[in-house]
Parts: sequence; structure tokens; C-alpha cells
Amino acid sequence: MAEASSPRTTWLSVVDRIIDHNEDTRSIFLQMREGTQFKFVPGQFISILIPLGDEVRRRAYSIASIDGGRLEICFNQVTGGRGVGWLFERAPGDAVEFMGPFGNFALDAPPQVETVFIAEGTAIAPILPMLLRAQSSSHAPMFLLYAASDRAHILYNRELETLAAGDANFGFEVLVADNIYERLHDEVHRRWVAADTNRARHFYICGVGKGVLSIRDLLRSSGYERRAVHYEQW
Amino acid sequence: MAKLHVKFENGDPDKVIEFNPADAPFHHDGRPGSILDILLGHKIHLEHACGGNCACTTCHVVVKEGMIGLSEAEESEEDMLDKAPGLTPTSRLGCQAVVTDPDAEITVVIPRFTINLATENRDDS
Repeated sequence: MAEASSPRTTWLSVVDRIIDHNEDTRSIFLQMREGTQFKFVPGQFISILIPLGDEVRRRAYSIASIDGGRLEICFNQVTGGRGVGWLFERAPGDAVEFMGPFGNFALDAPPQVETVFIAEGTAIAPILPMLLRAQSSSHAPMFLLYAASDRAHILYNRELETLAAGDANFGFEVLVADNIYERLHDEVHRRWVAADTNRARHFYICGVGKGVLSIRDLLRSSGYERRAVHYEQW
Repeated sequence: MAKLHVKFENGDPDKVIEFNPADAPFHHDGRPGSILDILLGHKIHLEHACGGNCACTTCHVVVKEGMIGLSEAEESEEDMLDKAPGLTPTSRLGCQAVVTDPDAEITVVIPRFTINLATENRDDS
């Protein structure tokens, strides 16, 4: 009998494939047991059980894609990050246990209005399935502003360009800068605050640190509804 | 010394923890000195799927007494709680609510469903 999806379930998977995006960023594809019915809402994460010393810690990783019983997570090296260090040590065939899916930063319905997605580096992971969901289920205009410190850290570029090329409603722009969040803040202000008085847009923002909150605050203080500004701060 | 009374909606026996907030952190997840940190540090399990980083609502607790001894909720916590099942006026995220009063006497209830049931009922079809 097939297993049913529930956040309380501990899922057992095996590392099926590893892709290095650049020198410090990697995707691993976790193959679940045959017959597993794992469902998630685009944007959600899984909670990986990571054995460290004599205890098991849980660490959250956004689901970047899912194809049948194979699920992709994407992560980068973090100085002193023991959890991610353990993940980098995994090899094809290794077992990985996780729970989930979890999280409320999710696109749980087709967008009805213009929707803007903003991401930085690996924080594209939860946004990617949202874009696919939005594109397949809605004709509302959508735009992705994707930033990184250099071109090598713009991930899934081919997939994103393919998405944009086949859909006049989808705009995609890359921003490469050292001071990522200052630039993102300025771009958000220029494009969606100063440019017009339309305050009906929805935003999905994902990134690292307080820069995410700064963009949130900019949008909310500029007249966008609180619940129209969705964000996840890593 | 501060005191944290923990009640479980599922009927598990109540627990009482006495602690000095200045000794935080007691564990490694959640804000140092938060309810999550205190519970985990005293071997009491509280769900925290995101690792205690204010990215889910699985550590949702309801404060019954002693709210004044806790840090105020920030906007990120309020936004997250908005989506918590069983939200009450005194709901907090265990990972964010820090005990600030060294003599606080706080009572929290761990709701029956500390896991976000909304996710269980969604269908990604």
C-alpha cells in the first residue's frame, strides 16, 4: 500500500544524484521509496534529520523540485554550518531521513493578480516551484527579480530563461551585485513603489538576513496590504 | 529564578521548570532563552520543524499566564502566527518568545496540534 503524505511522517530516502551548481552550491536529489505519495505546496520545506554527535538535529531545506518520487533540495556551504556540512558529505546511495512538508511561505492558489517574486542565491529554491505552479495555473502577470553576488550564483538560469521565453506574462531579470540587499531594496522601490500607484500586486520574497525584512517593510509602508507581502527570511 | 509551567492539551502530565534566564541558551534551537530553548534544554520536546527560525508554526504555544515576562512579538512572528491553526489572542511561537523577567512565572499550553494541519489538508494537484 502506498504511503500517504503527512508532516508527521518520517520519510526515508536515498541520495540518487548530486549536482554542483558552483564551487559552494549543490543540489541533491532524494529518491523516495517506490509507491510513496509525497505532496507539497510550492514553497514548502522538508525538515532533514541530521545526526550530529549523540543527537539528531532537524534542519529545514526548501523543496526546489519534485519529479515523481524524487525530490530536490539545494543548499550552499555555510561557515560553521554543521548540518549543511553533513549534507555535503552525502554520496549517492546514502540514506537521508526527513519529515514534512512544512511551512506557510507557499503559493497555495493560482495568482489572481500581478505577482512579483524576489530571491537571492539559493533562496530561489522555494520560488522555483512557485513559478512553475503560477505559470501552469494562471494568466496573471508575474515577474522574477533574482539577485546574487556573481553570475555563478544565479542558479537554474536555463530553466528560468526557458520559462520566460515561452510565456509573455512572465518577466525575469537578474541582478548581480556585491551589496545585494541594498540593490534589491532600490530596485523594488524603483519598480513597484515609485513607478506607479498600483498597490494590488502580491510579492513573494525569499533571502538571507534582515535585508528581506527591509524589503517587506518598504512594500508594506508604501501601501501594499500586509497579507500581499509574503516572505521567508533564512 | 523563573518558573515555567507547561501543560499539554493532549493530556500528558504537566511539567514545571525552574531556571535562571541568564543561563540561556539551554539548547541550540530557537532564540536563546526562548520557550523552545528552555523546553529543549530541559528535555521536553516541542516541535520545531524549521529549526527554531520563525519559518513555521510548529512550535505554537498558548500563554495562559505571565505574558508580561516575555519579549514582545515582532512583526515576523505575528505574520507567522497569522497562519497558525488554533490561533488565540495569547498565542506565541515558542522559538521567538524569550523569557525576559528573571522572576517570571509563566504558564503555557502546548496545543494538541502543534504541527501545521493546513499542510496535511492541502493538495498539490
